Amino acid sequence: MAIVTGQKTPDRIPPVSERSIIGWMHKNLCSSVFNSILTIVMLYIIYLTLSGVYIWGFADATFVADNRRECFDNSLEGACWAGVLAWTDNIMYGRFPREEIWRINLGGLLLVLWMAPLWMARVKGKIFIGITVVMLYPFLAGYLFSGGDKGWFMQIMVTGAIVALIANVVNMIAGLTKEQSLVQFLLGLVGQSNASDKAQRNTILGFLAAALVAVFIWQSSWNMVEVGWTKWGGLFLTLVISGVGIAASMPLGIVLALGRRSKLAVVKVLSTSFIEVFRSVPLITVLFMATTMFPLFMPDGFVLNKLVQVIIAVILFNACYMAENVRAGLQAIPKGQFEGAHTIGLGYWGTMGLIVMPQALKHMIPNIVGNFIGLLKDTTLVSIIGLFDILTMLRSISKDVPWIGLHKEPLVYGAILFFIICFSMSKYSRHLEAKLSTDNKS
Amino acid sequence: MTSETSQGQLSSAASSEVIIEITKMNKWYGSFHVLKDINLTVHKGERIVICGPSGSGKSTLIRCVNALEEHQEGEINVDGIILGKNLKNLDHIRTEVGMVFQNFNLFPHLTILENLTLGPIWVRKIGKAEAIETAMYYLEKVKIPEQADKFPGQMSGGQQQRVAIARSLCMSPKIMLFDEPTSALDPEMIKEVLDVMVDLADTGMTMIVVTHEMGFARTIADEVIFMDEGDIVERNKPEAFFSNPEHERTQKFLSQIL
Repeated sequence: MAIVTGQKTPDRIPPVSERSIIGWMHKNLCSSVFNSILTIVMLYIIYLTLSGVYIWGFADATFVADNRRECFDNSLEGACWAGVLAWTDNIMYGRFPREEIWRINLGGLLLVLWMAPLWMARVKGKIFIGITVVMLYPFLAGYLFSGGDKGWFMQIMVTGAIVALIANVVNMIAGLTKEQSLVQFLLGLVGQSNASDKAQRNTILGFLAAALVAVFIWQSSWNMVEVGWTKWGGLFLTLVISGVGIAASMPLGIVLALGRRSKLAVVKVLSTSFIEVFRSVPLITVLFMATTMFPLFMPDGFVLNKLVQVIIAVILFNACYMAENVRAGLQAIPKGQFEGAHTIGLGYWGTMGLIVMPQALKHMIPNIVGNFIGLLKDTTLVSIIGLFDILTMLRSISKDVPWIGLHKEPLVYGAILFFIICFSMSKYSRHLEAKLSTDNKS
Repeated sequence: MTSETSQGQLSSAASSEVIIEITKMNKWYGSFHVLKDINLTVHKGERIVICGPSGSGKSTLIRCVNALEEHQEGEINVDGIILGKNLKNLDHIRTEVGMVFQNFNLFPHLTILENLTLGPIWVRKIGKAEAIETAMYYLEKVKIPEQADKFPGQMSGGQQQRVAIARSLCMSPKIMLFDEPTSALDPEMIKEVLDVMVDLADTGMTMIVVTHEMGFARTIADEVIFMDEGDIVERNKPEAFFSNPEHERTQKFLSQIL
């Protein structure tokens, strides 16, 4: 065969349809007469819907009014957002005493402050931050939210949490300004950066002990007014239930998934039956069981608070779904990964913790976050068993005398709130996926 | 074969000390008898190549040496440790015996450097700085130190396999097992991996290699073993094995692949 082309053919730019917006529109919207007509019809339908929503929600809506009558005086067609706005505090915090609401806000703020360093590249010790936030923050937040007398256990945990929080903040500042870890920073402070390992350790322990003692003495001098859980409500309660549910069901789900794949027969049977039983029952049944049936089986005088029962029910229920998600992720890991781990001498826990779980969880991020979103929405079911969560509060607006009969706007408002929260979670999960991906990308 | 290595036959590093001793070993997968009455002695520093048709049990044999597979009868003695149900022994064996797989089995979520330092840090409890130093030393040896911060998915097959070899070497094993290390590679990458293995053979490492690369076998092997249907059919010096195979099954196999 003879030579076909003497030289290399130079690269050319792609045709117009591949690179301009006009080209894209021509290709995707108006490729034929029929498609062009379809496009125009669809645009008209979208216009009708959006303009209707706009007129109802903005143009004709009433934002300032004292009662529903005034809304109607203003416009019969438009939405009456004034009612929702008047109830904002109730929607957010339920019946929490108004003068104590700062405690909820402070709790939320502390959580943000605690977790923020996890997203800062310069800050070191992310594992420490992650562990303390899961292990200690709940105690601090629990005390902030409920208040009352601190038992000795609560005093110790609150002290630990405050010290951890301070350590975290100092660590964050040291990381941001000097790119040092907390330990390096403290050692530098007292000029012991080059001391022996043992001396360094003693210094750090000294710092820790001093901080613990100081904070312990300080915290024992303040007390906060008790706010019973019955006063908790609104979005705050929804976030507490789902937040605790998410944080606790994840590790429990991992344990159950490992149990289900275990070679030990007893562990396997127990995990499997636990998962299957809880998965085949609707959440509402589990909630009723937890709040009405469970106390019947308990000895007289054994009273567990209803909120705790609900949270435990939500955790157990969700852990089963989580376990199945994690198991699916585990099954997607090729056998070669286990063998590779074994040949470098890793045992069961090393293999699982260092090799298999990180990969499995990464694969399962979409499912896990989907599960979290489902859990957040499912918590509205607690309104049925008499907790004042966000849905109960939204529906109460229509029974409030000035706003009587106001159904639509609160529910739309709730839908928007849920959409914002859930959509951010799903966006964040996409971002995580992209960030953790180690595949070859062009 | 295409990837004939340029060097001639390496001089033998075998000593008289026995490091692997397999006696009357049998293994079944369900009712399928994979390995039948295997007897095999490997001396320290000896390099053995195992070949044979697929399904003949050669991979299973070396996986048994590494305790990745359990054998049902007979005894495997690796460096004085008898393999069996004792889990402590298993963990110990795996740190002494390195293994390289056909599909590399690198950890895709870790960088190359992390792949190499994971075992030394978590299993051997070596300090991080020292582990990194060792890892870079071996990456140098397999000629890809500049790739240390990449992820396995960003490398070619040949590079991944060289990383896999380096990962095993970082655990400073006494024995290296290779399970068809070049079978999943494109032809132009086979040579770079074989070259690394020849270099390794040159250092006096005890090696058992399952491969179909006959040119490579000729270069490094002290002895070549031919397996068929769970039997060790023939064991011989490479020259004799290739020029004058004794058993008719060996002759048939060689006539098919050469």
